Amino acid sequence: MAHVTPTVSRSRATSASLRLSVLMFLADPQWLIPSMIAPVMFGLVAFELFRGAGHYYLTYAILGAGMMSMWGQTLYGSGWAIGQDREFGTLEPTIGAPTPYLYIVFGRVLWNVISGLIGGAIVYVVVLVAAGTPPPVANPLGFVVLFVFVMLTLASVGVVFTAAWVYTRYAGFIQNVGEFAFYVGTGCMFPIVILPFWTNPIGLFFPPTWALDALRYLSIPGYVGFSWGFWWDVLGAVATTLAYLAVAGTIFHRVERHVLASGDLSWY
Amino acid sequence: MLASATATRDVPRISFWRTFWTNALIAPRTTLGFMRIDFVLGTVFIIPLMQMVFFVFVVEIGGGGASEIAFTALGNAVATVTYSSIFSVCQTTDSEKQQGTMEHLLVSPSNRLALYFGRGLLPILISLATVTVGIFYAVALFGVHIAPADYASLGVSVVLTAFAMVGFGLLLGGVALYLRTSIILGNIFLFIGLLLSGVNFPASQLPAPLEWIGYGFPLTWGLDAVRASVAGDPTGVVGLYWLAVALSAAASYGLAIGLWKVFEHRALATGSIARF
Repeated sequence: MAHVTPTVSRSRATSASLRLSVLMFLADPQWLIPSMIAPVMFGLVAFELFRGAGHYYLTYAILGAGMMSMWGQTLYGSGWAIGQDREFGTLEPTIGAPTPYLYIVFGRVLWNVISGLIGGAIVYVVVLVAAGTPPPVANPLGFVVLFVFVMLTLASVGVVFTAAWVYTRYAGFIQNVGEFAFYVGTGCMFPIVILPFWTNPIGLFFPPTWALDALRYLSIPGYVGFSWGFWWDVLGAVATTLAYLAVAGTIFHRVERHVLASGDLSWY
Repeated sequence: MLASATATRDVPRISFWRTFWTNALIAPRTTLGFMRIDFVLGTVFIIPLMQMVFFVFVVEIGGGGASEIAFTALGNAVATVTYSSIFSVCQTTDSEKQQGTMEHLLVSPSNRLALYFGRGLLPILISLATVTVGIFYAVALFGVHIAPADYASLGVSVVLTAFAMVGFGLLLGGVALYLRTSIILGNIFLFIGLLLSGVNFPASQLPAPLEWIGYGFPLTWGLDAVRASVAGDPTGVVGLYWLAVALSAAASYGLAIGLWKVFEHRALATGSIARF
């Protein structure tokens, strides 16, 4: 009798991975810190610092803190997406399963994006209560569309981090020590054009830098970001996001080959 | 005779300083084992710079001038003390539980003050280094001016703040004994200081109830002492802040030890508190 490989639904694997991520989030609520607690504090601090600086600075504070929420979840959550398999000893069996590992990780990254978004919504509500007035947004519909796109750019970074951190012991170091560097470098709370010029190319390596600049161009009248303007920001964000996804695919392919060849990737 | 063998007088007495030094030397390899050299160097040199840059630029884009920037830079330079003093110390409780040594610790006859204070020695030293580097950044990059005559006063303020914050970390570690994890608790107080302790803007700008809560934290008093030292206030004025910091430190250490005793009694009664 010929060997029959069982048919596996990739979407089902992804939804199961997503469900498991939700359950693990609820069981170990330490992930509340990067996605919700810290951004709310940063949002309130920024609100206080921007007080009296103009109506649109409320948008700055909310957008910045919301972005930090999603960044935090990407940085910590996605870094842990493969790390958890290593720690639990489930990396090799999961990769050996018929479903491509990428679809398992995609479910985890998807939850990171969702929880980051929930954190952003909490930031919005808290700062709104503190301010007593909703932030003005010049183009609400465009804002929503572009905001979703910003999330996608962050997800692409998350997938690369997930894959790349298999090969390093320093994921925890990068997460903890580099947290503020990511916030500064990608212009979460302010446009990176106000940073020293030599830092700008570093920030442009990250898709969210482009996307966030475009989002500010769209929602804050008179915003001064990159001199090339809104549409080049969008183009840059799309290009870097695609590049990140390509890099992630390559690294994942390598990780899978490595595991199949060595049978062990838990040691590093 | 069995009874005399277990009598209190026959339990060997261990000196305070021996317990202190033993814990100070062993903790970095056990409960503080997560503080690898790269992590420590990052905490001392990178985190203060990045945190200061972040908030300074937020102030700048919000229209703040040189004085506001200097205020924020100095505040964040001192606030970075919390990474080592609160977060690391608080997490030692988790380490004890994970390593399965909590039960042994709870039945140990060692002096508790020496035990906990000894464990806090490394975080105190790292806290001092972090704040020193942070203040250097504030002076070199963000226009904070400190007159040489104020160095000694500033040094006393920084040392007292570091001690007080480690005491507060031990207090949170005591609370964390009863929790599944200390990470959330440590982080809440790590970030809440940025809002309530006058790090980025004067605490007086806050609504009165939040300002009072802010003055419940040693960091708020420590920051006031540091700012008074940097401003060149007379010793009589700075001395009052030192007294407040010292009192908050004593309160933290006292509460920490009291809390640990309460939980020790509960642990001995239930036999289950070390689990999570």
